[in-house]
Amino acid sequence: MMRYVLSLLLACFMWAVPVAAQDGPLRIEITEGVIEPMPFAAPDFVSDNAAGAELGRQIANVIAADLAGTGLFREIQPEAFISKITSFSSPVQFADWKAINAQALITGAVSVDDGGKVIVRFRLFDVFAGQELGDGLQLVGTQAGWRRIAHKVADQVYSRITGEAPYFDSRVVFVAETGPKDARQKRLAIMDYDGANVKYLTDSSSIVLAPRFSPNGDRVLYTSYESGFPRIYLLDVGSVQRRVLESQDGTMSFAPRFGPDGQTVVYSLTRGGNTDLYRMDLNTGANTRLTSAPSIETAPSFSPDGSQIVFESDRSGVPQIYVMPAGGGEARRISFGQGRYGTPVWSPRGDLIAFTKQSKGRFHIGVMRTDGSEERLLTASFLDEGPTWAPNGRVIMFTRETQGAQGRASLYTVDITGRNPRQVPTSTGASDPAWSPLQD
Amino acid sequence: MNTGQVISGAGHLGLIAFALFGGAFQSEPLPFEVTEVTAISAEEFAALTQGESIPEAVANVDTPEPPQEGEAPALTSEADTPPERSEPEVAETPPPDEVPEPVEPAPVPQADVSDEPPVMQPPQEDTALLVPEESPRPQQRPAPRVAPEPVAEPEPDVQVDDVERQEVSPSEEPAEVVEEESEATAPEEATTEIVTEAEENDVANAAPAQSIRPRTRPTRPEPTETAEPAAPETDNSAVNDALAEALGQSGTSSNEAPQGPPLTAGEKDALRVAVQNCWNVGSLSSEALRTTVVVAVEMAENGKPVTSSIKMLSSSGGNGAAAKQAFEAARRAIIRCGSGGFDLPVEKYDHWRDIEMTFNPERMRIK
Repeated sequence: MMRYVLSLLLACFMWAVPVAAQDGPLRIEITEGVIEPMPFAAPDFVSDNAAGAELGRQIANVIAADLAGTGLFREIQPEAFISKITSFSSPVQFADWKAINAQALITGAVSVDDGGKVIVRFRLFDVFAGQELGDGLQLVGTQAGWRRIAHKVADQVYSRITGEAPYFDSRVVFVAETGPKDARQKRLAIMDYDGANVKYLTDSSSIVLAPRFSPNGDRVLYTSYESGFPRIYLLDVGSVQRRVLESQDGTMSFAPRFGPDGQTVVYSLTRGGNTDLYRMDLNTGANTRLTSAPSIETAPSFSPDGSQIVFESDRSGVPQIYVMPAGGGEARRISFGQGRYGTPVWSPRGDLIAFTKQSKGRFHIGVMRTDGSEERLLTASFLDEGPTWAPNGRVIMFTRETQGAQGRASLYTVDITGRNPRQVPTSTGASDPAWSPLQD
Repeated sequence: MNTGQVISGAGHLGLIAFALFGGAFQSEPLPFEVTEVTAISAEEFAALTQGESIPEAVANVDTPEPPQEGEAPALTSEADTPPERSEPEVAETPPPDEVPEPVEPAPVPQADVSDEPPVMQPPQEDTALLVPEESPRPQQRPAPRVAPEPVAEPEPDVQVDDVERQEVSPSEEPAEVVEEESEATAPEEATTEIVTEAEENDVANAAPAQSIRPRTRPTRPEPTETAEPAAPETDNSAVNDALAEALGQSGTSSNEAPQGPPLTAGEKDALRVAVQNCWNVGSLSSEALRTTVVVAVEMAENGKPVTSSIKMLSSSGGNGAAAKQAFEAARRAIIRCGSGGFDLPVEKYDHWRDIEMTFNPERMRIK
């Protein structure tokens, strides 16, 4: 009897389910979308005087270039605009911007006060939602620093729409190269991430290599042949004062990189024909040997939390990538693909390691997980090498050198998806880039 | 010697003699032939042998008598008459053929011949190497847009738009229907996956060593849902009002909206495809691409979403900031592609008035 009752209840339940489903809202699941640049409009920032108007035009241009340069956004040219922004506080005619398919709209105003300070205000709108994205923001700076203000506005727009951390207001230290390949002159230089505002930090009297920023961007480590042998120098970016790090005679030290605390340096030291990794405390000058192997260990890079070091070693016969504890110890090989791996750099996010790979006569910039899995090659050319991460870990800058006696080294950027490879404009040849952290 | 021994000895001798001369120890049996024999009756035998009677011998044969002497015929020596010879008719001599005029041969063009042998240019490349051993697989061409359905590159003078339409231009001949002039549009070029620079020119490794065996054709799925026949249009308003009154319900807009049968799977798919064509995840962060959001939207009867009604019901997989970015991308998709109204059957409005859309970017993450 009990069985019949249960069967009857079950039958009633089964009958009731579709009825209940019909009463609820229609449910659909979207699992596939499109990946395309988001169209945006950045009309000139308005101003109440001529000087401010010119500045407003320049700032809007830099913002548009920053966003379009990511490959994630597409600028709608001003010729297509239907509406004109004449006042910062007047309401936006969303229909006019919808008509040209502008999904994001950036409006702003520029004013210059009596003291020469530049005041920039901006707003960001989601055109199709018809509402403002985030709150309006006001930035104050000097007239000479208007580009930084523009980069900061672009950073805000980029972060509010994508959710990624910003990176436009950052700088790059690199080696500026002039002259033919067999007599090339190299100088340390620093510039904005987009190639503007280049300043030289050293002269061309000696060869310089592999500059690296400190975690807060105030100092630079680099290798110089000034003494005839490679030595590591520490340079203060603000004062351009430098000093050589202590080293013993008969040794060569190179490939330095800061630890996350800014007081620890890890580098390669060659003594008696053998190259190993060492760690130095900048405060005390104390050195600690991290590896002890007859092979060549070089190109060390700290993980963001400072607990591990990734480096390059040929202990297996060909250069491969290894990871070991920051205090030294057993190293674990993480690269197993065909070819030679080198110059590994840990991402600021901590999730990926960028590297240079040489395979079948071509050079690649690639990324892999920190355990070596999911290796992806992003670029391919005659010579690509020396990756460095943007502060947000979304973009990689590297050196690309063209073939032949007249080959020229240039800087390129690429998104970690492998899309949007772009050359960074520089007036001279450029190599060995190192991306700074985001500026304050 | 007793009798028993005599009998035994004679028996053994007989046995030995049989063994020696009787062939008992011949190892191979004698060859013999086997012939099939069929027993037939006498009538059958007579029938078989009926046509085989022996012919009778001819007893009386005329023997020619030898000629007698003197009866021999006289021999004559007349010569035989020679046969008449017919004279052949004299044929007329045909006129001689006209001698054709000699035709001067066309001058043969003189080739420029020099004594010096031509200089052979060495080949620029080993042309034999240019022929691939295996035909390369067609490479995925990089495009600025990644979409579920690949789109070919539009014509250079065609405007890129979300909706594809043919060019309409005023015709020379007057027509009854005046069509508005508009430019042709086509969707932007798209591929189905991201192609990095490293993969773009990798033609050498593109050809597979072996082709994959084609899969068997999948079985055709059974139709899961079919449109129900529309109910006959009858005026049941009085009945409905009575029922509503009996159930204690007042007349609401819900009851006034057309209900109709539930949406078919095809209609749901059409809505899903329409939304996903505007769901742009290209500008989302990695964290937002790990976030699934459920968005509720109220639809107007003309198929357009009510913008103010779009809200996020829940999110999973990411933090609050990532969920916010993911929701904003979903909201843009609904508004953009719904601005012209989704293609939904108005007779079923009650079934799609409220929609919950789950935006799951799992398949769109950076691999």
